[in-house]
Amino acid sequence: MKDNDSFNATLAAATCALLGSAVAAPVAAQDAGSDWSFDSALLYYGESDGRVSDFSAAVSALRDLGDERKFSATVTADTLTGASASGAIALDRPQTFTSPSGRAVYTTPAGAVPLDDTFHDARFALNASWTQPLARLYTVSAGVGFSTEYDYTHIGANLSLARDFNKRNTTVNAGVAWSQDDVKPVGGLPIPLSQMLDVDNNSNKLGGSESKDVLDLLLGFTQVLNRTTVLRVNYSYSDSSGYLNDPYKLLSVVDPLTGDTLARVPIGQGPNGVYLFESRPDARTKQSLYAEVKHSFGDPVMYFSYRYMTDDWGIDSHTGEVRLRWPLGEGYIEPQLRYYKQSAADFYRASLVSGSALPRYASADFRLGDFDATTVGIKYGHGTPNGNEWSIRAEYYQQTGSVPSEQIIGNQANRALYPDLSAVIVQFGYRFRP
Amino acid sequence: MKKIPLCLVLLGLAGCAQVQPWERDVLARPEMSLDNAPLDAAIDDHIYFSKEASSGGRGFGGGGCGCN
Amino acid sequence: MQKPAIPVVTVRRLLLAIVLACFALTAIAADSGDALDLERLRGKVVLLDFWASWCEPCRHSFPWLNEMQTKYADRGLVIIGVNVDREHADAERFLREIPATFRIVYDPAGALASRYDVPGMPSSYVLDAKGDVVGRHIGFRNALRAEREAELQKLLEKTQ
Repeated sequence: MKDNDSFNATLAAATCALLGSAVAAPVAAQDAGSDWSFDSALLYYGESDGRVSDFSAAVSALRDLGDERKFSATVTADTLTGASASGAIALDRPQTFTSPSGRAVYTTPAGAVPLDDTFHDARFALNASWTQPLARLYTVSAGVGFSTEYDYTHIGANLSLARDFNKRNTTVNAGVAWSQDDVKPVGGLPIPLSQMLDVDNNSNKLGGSESKDVLDLLLGFTQVLNRTTVLRVNYSYSDSSGYLNDPYKLLSVVDPLTGDTLARVPIGQGPNGVYLFESRPDARTKQSLYAEVKHSFGDPVMYFSYRYMTDDWGIDSHTGEVRLRWPLGEGYIEPQLRYYKQSAADFYRASLVSGSALPRYASADFRLGDFDATTVGIKYGHGTPNGNEWSIRAEYYQQTGSVPSEQIIGNQANRALYPDLSAVIVQFGYRFRP
Repeated sequence: MKKIPLCLVLLGLAGCAQVQPWERDVLARPEMSLDNAPLDAAIDDHIYFSKEASSGGRGFGGGGCGCN
Repeated sequence: MQKPAIPVVTVRRLLLAIVLACFALTAIAADSGDALDLERLRGKVVLLDFWASWCEPCRHSFPWLNEMQTKYADRGLVIIGVNVDREHADAERFLREIPATFRIVYDPAGALASRYDVPGMPSSYVLDAKGDVVGRHIGFRNALRAEREAELQKLLEKTQ
């Protein structure tokens, strides 16, 4: 289940976001005496078609120790249930798969996109950071992060340095983050491109755990453009190495003419088709260029950002986001729009063709496919008389993918090969100073 | 320390004027801070990274009131 | 015009500030019509502090400035807070929350701030009894309070 890959980015993102919270006071200073401030959020994420749903709660504490020294810690807890597409393709007959534990089977009805066996998972994460000036124009920040779920643990650390120029109109910052993730999947680690076997046959599974190391470098530049506009541009470089596979993802092996999954007769209980576990390279280098602008039109504030990402797996992506925050009485309303587009990884395959040479790397994981995604949302925030703020955010996320025509074989053309995803996100937030 | 007009050299932006420290009133507003909703940002990044192949990109620091 | 005394952290800009400070500077207060005439304050040690309602460290500097003003007023210390808010109402709101025992003048157009070429918010200029700028502090740090108080004490001693 696949928030596996999320953690290195969660560290970088959450910590970078944390670093931001450590530097900029999240709640407007009301009382010179109160040095603690808190931010909390309760989130519901729900995908359509009975797929993944997630409840999560996060609390962030920020302590201002005066003279620009700040300590921040965030605790997050998630409970995840549901199933994601496993990578096997839909078929005109029911399909049976061995569950990840290797002890049972689960069935996908005819015509449906196969989903992983339903799972329940709890995740716990802790991030902490410290920020302080080194000299008048220099700020240093360091952080650590840790997260755990039943088959995955992550630890990480980060360090950044920022220097201001031009009467603090310009800021240059450089940061580095290291992380190590350990994955110990239920049922063991499948040998890449090995076939899914019958229940209680673990001959293609390795025991123990595997790990992944990630190094992130960030070079950032913030520039005040005028009294009402600020720009930030970041260049990031990320290097992952180690176990990058999703141990639960599969590919269907199909007939070269009909495009239907090859049938198989299980001995006892087991898969009724030929499915192979995916295989990804053991290294990945990503680079991205990100720019954001905040501009004030009097009271309303507009935010716009664009990010371009490219990696050595052949994936290119573009992300554009815009938000407009409009004051409304005691609070504000902020509609938002995000558009994301990515191209498929070089080794992305909708299915594997029987008789053709097996590629070295192959994955049918939709997250590595060709798709675009749109998010529309709105946030409403309301300030309370004592300076606290509660907020509510609702978003709708829709992902639409496509498979290159040369990968569509025979009967596959009549079926939905790419499982479109749509999800609803609702978040309640509360910021307060005790 | 030599003061390099970075806004001109690095980006070549037209109309990139230097804002004086006493003119940072608008930029000092919390909603003008680039990192004013860190929890939202962390949540979004986690969701998108679970469902997409790209991640992060945000850094920290800069903008704001430029105080101290 | 006297030769200005220049302390540690100086660049061309401070020299310029000193040259300008040696002339009689006037800033008109928006409401009180009270001109800031530093000439009239010769013989006093003056601490000119540029502040704004949106400046977070100013919430910490005010209690200290109040303490200094109260403690050393009868020894000849005059603290003047120069407010650079564009909207007077913003300054008023800040002062209701964190009152000042020292004198406030208003510089909403930033004329005085530009004459001093204020390098950061808040900024304090310390003027000796002769009216020369002998010290400049950019930003407010709790850790430097003792050192700054000692600087004032030294200057006040010279005027006795």
